[in-house]
Amino acid sequence: MAIKTWELDSNFKNEIAAMPGGEGIMKCFQCSTCTVGCPITELEPSYNPRKIIQMSLLGMKKEVLESEEIWLCAVCQTCSERCPQDVRISDLMGAIRRIAEKEAEEGKIELKGVRAIFEKAFMHQLEKFGRMYEIGLSMEYYKKAHGGFFAGMMAMQKDYQKLGMRFFKKGKMGPKSMFPDKIKRTGEVKKIFEKVGE
Amino acid sequence: MAVSKLAYYPGCPSETHAIEQDMSTKAVFEKLGIELVEVEDWNCCGAAEAENPEMVYALNARNLAIAERDNLDMMVTSCSVCFYNLARTNEAYEKDAGLKDRMKAIDPALEYNGSVKAKHVVDVIVNEVGLDEIKKRIEKKIPVKVAPYYGCYMGRPSRLGFDDPDNPETMDKIIELLGGEVIPYSQMKAKCCGGPLMMTRSDLAFKMSKNLIDAAKARGADCIVTACPLCHMMLDAKQPDIEETFKVKLEMPVLYFTQILGLGLGIDPKKLGLNKNIVSTKAIEEKVI
Ligand code: SF4
Ligand code: SF4
Repeated sequence: MAIKTWELDSNFKNEIAAMPGGEGIMKCFQCSTCTVGCPITELEPSYNPRKIIQMSLLGMKKEVLESEEIWLCAVCQTCSERCPQDVRISDLMGAIRRIAEKEAEEGKIELKGVRAIFEKAFMHQLEKFGRMYEIGLSMEYYKKAHGGFFAGMMAMQKDYQKLGMRFFKKGKMGPKSMFPDKIKRTGEVKKIFEKVGE
Repeated sequence: MAVSKLAYYPGCPSETHAIEQDMSTKAVFEKLGIELVEVEDWNCCGAAEAENPEMVYALNARNLAIAERDNLDMMVTSCSVCFYNLARTNEAYEKDAGLKDRMKAIDPALEYNGSVKAKHVVDVIVNEVGLDEIKKRIEKKIPVKVAPYYGCYMGRPSRLGFDDPDNPETMDKIIELLGGEVIPYSQMKAKCCGGPLMMTRSDLAFKMSKNLIDAAKARGADCIVTACPLCHMMLDAKQPDIEETFKVKLEMPVLYFTQILGLGLGIDPKKLGLNKNIVSTKAIEEKVI
């Protein structure tokens, strides 16, 4: 893919560096240590954290934000541990993902994959109940990831029927998992969401 | 033994799929005579899904503040992801002078001074209670071959972790004290299980977990021992799905660290929730002498 120099956004790196977690981007000197040890790269060679950083430094904003790769990091910290420049790559990926979500909300780009939907659904449960409500999470996630209630419920049933049965047999599907376990002072958590935002 | 009372942060899975980890953690500490004070009205730590560090700090500051107001100076959690989030919140309190006021400004409930140390349960057992003390308390031997699986956050990033980032060994030491044999597993011990991709890229997550189970099997392990509910979910609860996807038989029991330790301390398997693991742990229980 040839780089379209006239489309580069030289401010993209500054935008990333201004995000919490993205501060280290300018320190990267492209040694590839992160990529060599990444367990995701090992299985999916198209995933290349060094390349994502270089593209970002060059200003290939749209390509980076619309790539599937930014959603593949498993946050395992292997790269952050080994990087000689202390770039903290997994935090950096998080910062890039947050920019992607913001730009997508503003209609400027299109997100790849379903992880943004999952993360949103997770945070919604947390905001409502203060704790994770797995059934609520799955319902919201499947509905949105599969474009509608019925398609979502079918997909969820396919993925979860057996796991649910397994949990049920072992007594892990008691009332505490069927209904949300709401904390008492949900107001305090709501305040966090109001003031910090997702 | 230095500790006698600890704040306890169970984490969300403790009430559902990791109930046996919660049960066994409580049983082990009770047996050791250490009081666990559950963080009153605790909230979710944000797991791997809260992307904004400021959000992570706020969620965890609320929990740490509750323990601080209860005059507890150490908080133990049995989840590696919760540990990572608690530890990085404390780190941020040390490094970012303005954080304390920013948190307080959100809500008075978040008024926290950074005085509560966050510790993983394995760290507390090995480094606070200590190996000598554990050795004295062991009532039973468990002569089985174990693949100790640590996952990511016990050692990484090393500025927060308590064990070696690449070749951790805290759990090995306990397993050996219990009469178990640790199989050569250093290539896999701290390799990611793929947990955070479980819902969105299960194809990758399944492969990552299968590699961990395969390696344990190839080296003759009778079981895997882990200390994180997300790793356990992938390796145990999802094991039948992994078997189905790859058309293989694995049948590898996966015990929580506190379950195998509890067996060695002579605690009743039921109290350790060993009947709740998805892959049967009977073969391991039968070998306890
Ligand atoms: S290891 Fe660090 S310096 Fe090297 S390419 Fe990766 S991020 Fe850049
Ligand atoms: S944190 Fe992400 S990028 Fe880094 S090694 Fe792990 S999966 Fe790869």
